[in-house]
Amino acid sequence: MAAFAGTFVSVQPRPRLLRQSLATTSISSLKSLSFSNRGGRLTSQHLPLRLRVSCAAKPETVEKVCAIVKKQLALPEDSAITGESKFAALGADSLDTVEIVMGLEEEFGINVEEESAQSIATVQDAADLIEKLIEKKDA
Amino acid sequence: MFSFLHMASFTMKIHCFQRNFSFSSSALVPVQLPSRMETHFWYILPDEVKSATLLNQYLDILSPCEKENVLRMHGDNLKKSALLARALVRTTIARYQINSQVSPTSLKFRKNIYGKPEVDWQNHYDRNPPPLHFNISHTSSLIACGVTLDSPIGIDVEEKQRTTKNNILSFARRYFSPHEVESLSIISDPEIQRLEFLKLWTLKEAYVKALGRGFSAAPFKNFTIRFRAATKGHLHLSGNSNSKASEIIVESSDDPKTLTSNWQFALLELTGSHYAAICKEKDDDTVEGKGSVPMKLTVRKTIPFVEDQCISGKDALVLVGGL
Repeated sequence: MAAFAGTFVSVQPRPRLLRQSLATTSISSLKSLSFSNRGGRLTSQHLPLRLRVSCAAKPETVEKVCAIVKKQLALPEDSAITGESKFAALGADSLDTVEIVMGLEEEFGINVEEESAQSIATVQDAADLIEKLIEKKDA
Repeated sequence: MFSFLHMASFTMKIHCFQRNFSFSSSALVPVQLPSRMETHFWYILPDEVKSATLLNQYLDILSPCEKENVLRMHGDNLKKSALLARALVRTTIARYQINSQVSPTSLKFRKNIYGKPEVDWQNHYDRNPPPLHFNISHTSSLIACGVTLDSPIGIDVEEKQRTTKNNILSFARRYFSPHEVESLSIISDPEIQRLEFLKLWTLKEAYVKALGRGFSAAPFKNFTIRFRAATKGHLHLSGNSNSKASEIIVESSDDPKTLTSNWQFALLELTGSHYAAICKEKDDDTVEGKGSVPMKLTVRKTIPFVEDQCISGKDALVLVGGL
């Protein structure tokens, strides 16, 4: 039950423009680089100061999130779900969202605080959060 | 428009429960504002709305932004319920005839700082807008809107058939309070356990939505919803043998001795298929030590512009929280 049409708990409006354009540029530039540590993931320390944002999550993480979402919402296998897909637009109500978060916690061995869960609007948001939490856990 | 719609003829059913109103086929039947003690609960069943003409009529009253959001939903069913949800809110609020300039189309909405939707009266009032509060909730098969005067309200509806992908107790251990987990774990019948879980879920959701500060401001683990025996015999039950005379209370885990007694709840079973939980702030006069006060509830089923029906008795069974 989503932002305006239903419950409002799962979505907070946020400026999306910057994030989206950075996501696309950072993915395309990352693919051509290789790093000796951290399996190819950049942290903000490695980036020039003006690009101090966390990079988009690995495609595998996004795929795993998509799989969990599809399962929770009982969507057909061939559903067009991408990182950009909004949970609300997929028909996830508050109970679905909470179950999805629980599924993600189990899959990735992380713990998602309610505050963070509330700001997840898209599949990409979830994947990014997961990677951030994994990184914190491993650090 | 929606490619799935075909022109179906729809019959106009005229159910007039209010003698003074004359029914017009294209007008919304106006309704008086609820009193401070009252809650109005309106709902629509998407399966009863089949006419392409009617759906287009609903689309026309939406704002451009709302239309975009409707069309962004994946699939026709989701588009339809998103459309009906917005149409329900706009038509419902416009019925209260607060100001002759208010129409379903002219209403503006905004979100409070926590993201809770509210009416933005700026176009219609310079100051002192009517303190009308609303909250909506939907499942694929039922969309509801609760309205109060001068009191924050939260509602949540859920299909009784709803199952969880996770094991109920695992889910409860993760998200509910210890007391609630215990109250669920002592239920041996899995079906009854599932239904009790759904009741708790909808009540907890309704509470958080009534608070209007977002999920994180009132984490589910930090408060307990409990049923307890009513203090006086003022409850009106519609003959359900399962329900006990009880009321719903919420307790904060931070300070278990303090009852968060300024919130009142009602739990309904609608058309035998859905649970609906309603939470509203008590009227000031009733908060101080007067025991539990029944929520005065008016339930109406509607197809805006077509039909309104007052619902009572077996179609809207009040499980807990009296009328």
